[in-house]
Amino acid sequence: MTISTPPAADAIAEEPARRGLLRYAVAKVGGALLSIAMVIVATFFAFRLLPGDPVRALAQGRNMTPEQLDLERRRLGLDKSLLEQFVQFVNQTVHFDLGTSYEYKRPVLDLIGERIGATLLLTGTALVMAVSLGIWQGARAGWKPGSRFDKFSTGVSLVLWSVPTFWLGLLLLMVFAAGIGPIPGIFPTRGIESVDAPDGFGYVLDVAKHMVLPCLTMVAVVYAQYLLVMRSSVLDEVGQDYVTTARAKGLKDDEIRRRHAVPNALLPTVTLVFMRIGFVVGGAVTVEAIFSWPGLGQLFYEAIRVPDFTLMQGTFLLITVSVILMNTLADVIYHVLDPRVRSA
Amino acid sequence: MRKWIGATAAMGMLALGGLAGPAAQAAEPSAPKVIRVGATQAMDSMNPFLAVRLVSSSIHRWMYGYLAVPDSKTLQPSPDLAESWTTSPDGLTWTFKIRSAKWSDGQPITAADAAWTFNKMITDDGAKTANGPAVENFASVTANGQDLTVKLKTPQASMLDNPVPIMPKHAWEKVGDIARYEANEYPAVTSGPYIAVEHKKDQYVKLKANPDYWRGAPKIDELQVIFYDNPAAAIVGLKKGDIDLIGRLAPPDFEALKGDENIVQWNTEGRRATYLQVNHGATTSDNKPIGDGHPALKDPKVRQALHYAIDKQKLVDQVQNGLAKPADGSIVPPMYKDFFWQAEGEKKVSFDVAKANKILDDAGYKKGADGIRTMPDGSRKLQFRFSIHTDAPIEEKLAEYLTGWFKELGITLTTKRLDSSKFTEETGTTALFDIAISGWSVNPDPEEVLATHLCSRRPTASGEGGGTESFYCDPQYEALYQQQLKELDRPKRADIIKKMEERLYTDAPVIALYYPNNLEGYRKDRIAKVTSIPEDKGMLYGGSGYWPFYTLEAVSKDGAAAEDDGSNTGVIVGIVAGVLILIGAGYFLTRRRKTVADDRE
Repeated sequence: MTISTPPAADAIAEEPARRGLLRYAVAKVGGALLSIAMVIVATFFAFRLLPGDPVRALAQGRNMTPEQLDLERRRLGLDKSLLEQFVQFVNQTVHFDLGTSYEYKRPVLDLIGERIGATLLLTGTALVMAVSLGIWQGARAGWKPGSRFDKFSTGVSLVLWSVPTFWLGLLLLMVFAAGIGPIPGIFPTRGIESVDAPDGFGYVLDVAKHMVLPCLTMVAVVYAQYLLVMRSSVLDEVGQDYVTTARAKGLKDDEIRRRHAVPNALLPTVTLVFMRIGFVVGGAVTVEAIFSWPGLGQLFYEAIRVPDFTLMQGTFLLITVSVILMNTLADVIYHVLDPRVRSA
Repeated sequence: MRKWIGATAAMGMLALGGLAGPAAQAAEPSAPKVIRVGATQAMDSMNPFLAVRLVSSSIHRWMYGYLAVPDSKTLQPSPDLAESWTTSPDGLTWTFKIRSAKWSDGQPITAADAAWTFNKMITDDGAKTANGPAVENFASVTANGQDLTVKLKTPQASMLDNPVPIMPKHAWEKVGDIARYEANEYPAVTSGPYIAVEHKKDQYVKLKANPDYWRGAPKIDELQVIFYDNPAAAIVGLKKGDIDLIGRLAPPDFEALKGDENIVQWNTEGRRATYLQVNHGATTSDNKPIGDGHPALKDPKVRQALHYAIDKQKLVDQVQNGLAKPADGSIVPPMYKDFFWQAEGEKKVSFDVAKANKILDDAGYKKGADGIRTMPDGSRKLQFRFSIHTDAPIEEKLAEYLTGWFKELGITLTTKRLDSSKFTEETGTTALFDIAISGWSVNPDPEEVLATHLCSRRPTASGEGGGTESFYCDPQYEALYQQQLKELDRPKRADIIKKMEERLYTDAPVIALYYPNNLEGYRKDRIAKVTSIPEDKGMLYGGSGYWPFYTLEAVSKDGAAAEDDGSNTGVIVGIVAGVLILIGAGYFLTRRRKTVADDRE
């Protein structure tokens, strides 16, 4: 009988904890939905505050008669009152219809769908690489602050962090795509694939080759933030009692770092990573522009230039919603990972 | 674990070694003759009824026939799909004889195709997006066999410059909603020198030579248009050989091509005029004043004084790196020899600050204690705004020079930077400007650019419509415009058009600054021959019509050296990568051993 008591007690203790998590998650998701609703409203009005008449901008200096402009305005629904436009916009948005692009004359969702793959591939890969590099270097640097490794890696990452993306990208393009002196230009100058790309495995290689420079640019510019967060959290752990205990047990220094300090120090980085995942969808306008990467960033940029209201709204909503969702997810996961948050 | 790492390393070696694959493949003996054209803009649509971007209309020009195209020597309209035409004495009925040729799918081309294209645009608003105004004046279009009859509402001398590509009725009449049709079905059915066979959005368009083209198949097998998002990368692409030709370069990008022995810098007269637009008292189409232009600019004498104070040669040298021609004429650039007018003798305005000051003194604009002139009635100082675009280094530079010169006249010029949509609004509709930068690309028939200075182009009171480049409304100019519309004799029409240019020059609602050169570059180790339009020092990508791209000839592939180079590169990459991976694998292996040993301790 006495043997069965501990599990029962455990069950009783766990039940409120699980319910707590559920309640916490529901509250967080509710908050996220509220944020999304506010974003939808803000998106609609914010983009209409932008200067410029989209119909006139679309004419792009071509001769258009007043009748034609009227027609265009009717076609885009711009002849209706702001309230009517707003109701229509909300109604469409909640039905996952992001409207029709002014410039491309095609559904915004289709345009996004065509480009999101390329963006996710590039920014996703870059994120994974930047996070791995940042965590690895940050953990080592924080473990022995002031060491040569710390000074070197922190220094390099900070220099790259402060370099303008456009400049670094163009530099890499000129050196490794065009080739300078003894360095051969081995990487392509643009895009995600060659015009005559082979099929099958060859295609994968071709895309990989195209990804090297844009990926390198993105990683170089952003990995410092993971490194610094990781470094400072590891630094916090170094003086902790459990570390001293582990040392006293005779564990190797590397082992203590890898098995005890790093897992404890990962929490702030997890939050950061999840926030970044949200931004992955937004892509990197600059990097995409340098390497002519056919992704979302370029689409968004073009949309602002016109201005193409529906397309801007669509891409903007997509980006903000994914950031909100990922933030919520980060909150919930944080809750699961760290018991201290739960009790607090 | 060790096996796994070994396998990964091997895979990595394979992968990186394989990167050289595409380069090596290009060395196949019977390689097709491919020319790659770079473009710093992507296609907006493959549907010619919708596409408005320059790159799109260029590609469509290589795919489809038109009623007429500019002659490669004279730029005068010459037969294309219409092999001949006649005009009724009143100039209202045009009859075209459509050539007996075939669409790329083997169907015959008839007048019904042309009639369908124009009627589609007349009846379906969705089809008006790209070229709506081109059929505005069409009363009816009918077909009978190979005969196409177009009845106009009013005479139109520019009829043969019609920009509408003739589309295949049999392939396109099945399309439901033309305004939403992407035309992404390949191969496309075309009548021009090339057939689009593939389009990867934002990446490239592949065009194959049309073997049955009625002028004869092009001399290359494939033409590829490759899109770059920024000119700097495109220049790198040209130097490296990823592309073979690129047009529409800005002076700094053009100069970046200097010193490469394989690249031809193609620098010719351009089709564009850069000018100042002066708010000389803007009005709406019902003649009500609009905007907040400075009252002094209503005085032609002030506008003339400004004109005298501009050193156009200096602007060309300093702002355009010498790659332009100072404008002694108006809005039609000198490359259009038939229509170009330039001022001579008394009429010619040359840089002369003293003369400019004298004009202002004589007109009663007195300088104040601060050296700034005031209106003759003393009401306002001569302080003008100069509207330019944000992020436009050339315009910034121009503003600096103008500010300096105008200061010598006792006129203050302050620069106002606007993003492009706001700029278009303030300088084209609401008239909230004094002086603004402007420019226009002129077609072989200058009617459109002339029309941008008509009374009817001014916006309505509600701020609708327009397309004015100056808010100009001058009875004399108006009368000349109507006169040239009816004049079907080309030399006589050219004389009238020159009078219009002269009127713009002397009345100065716009002040032409310079004609920027057309700057392009191509690789002579890839392109053996290309005929420009016009043939004598004309344009390539920037030109109208398909002539340069139809006549492209590729250098025959005996340049095995280049391919060898590619494989070498591949080998180097492979080796370097392999070594790196081995080092990495070795490092991890030793570490693994160490930790295992540690655990055992």
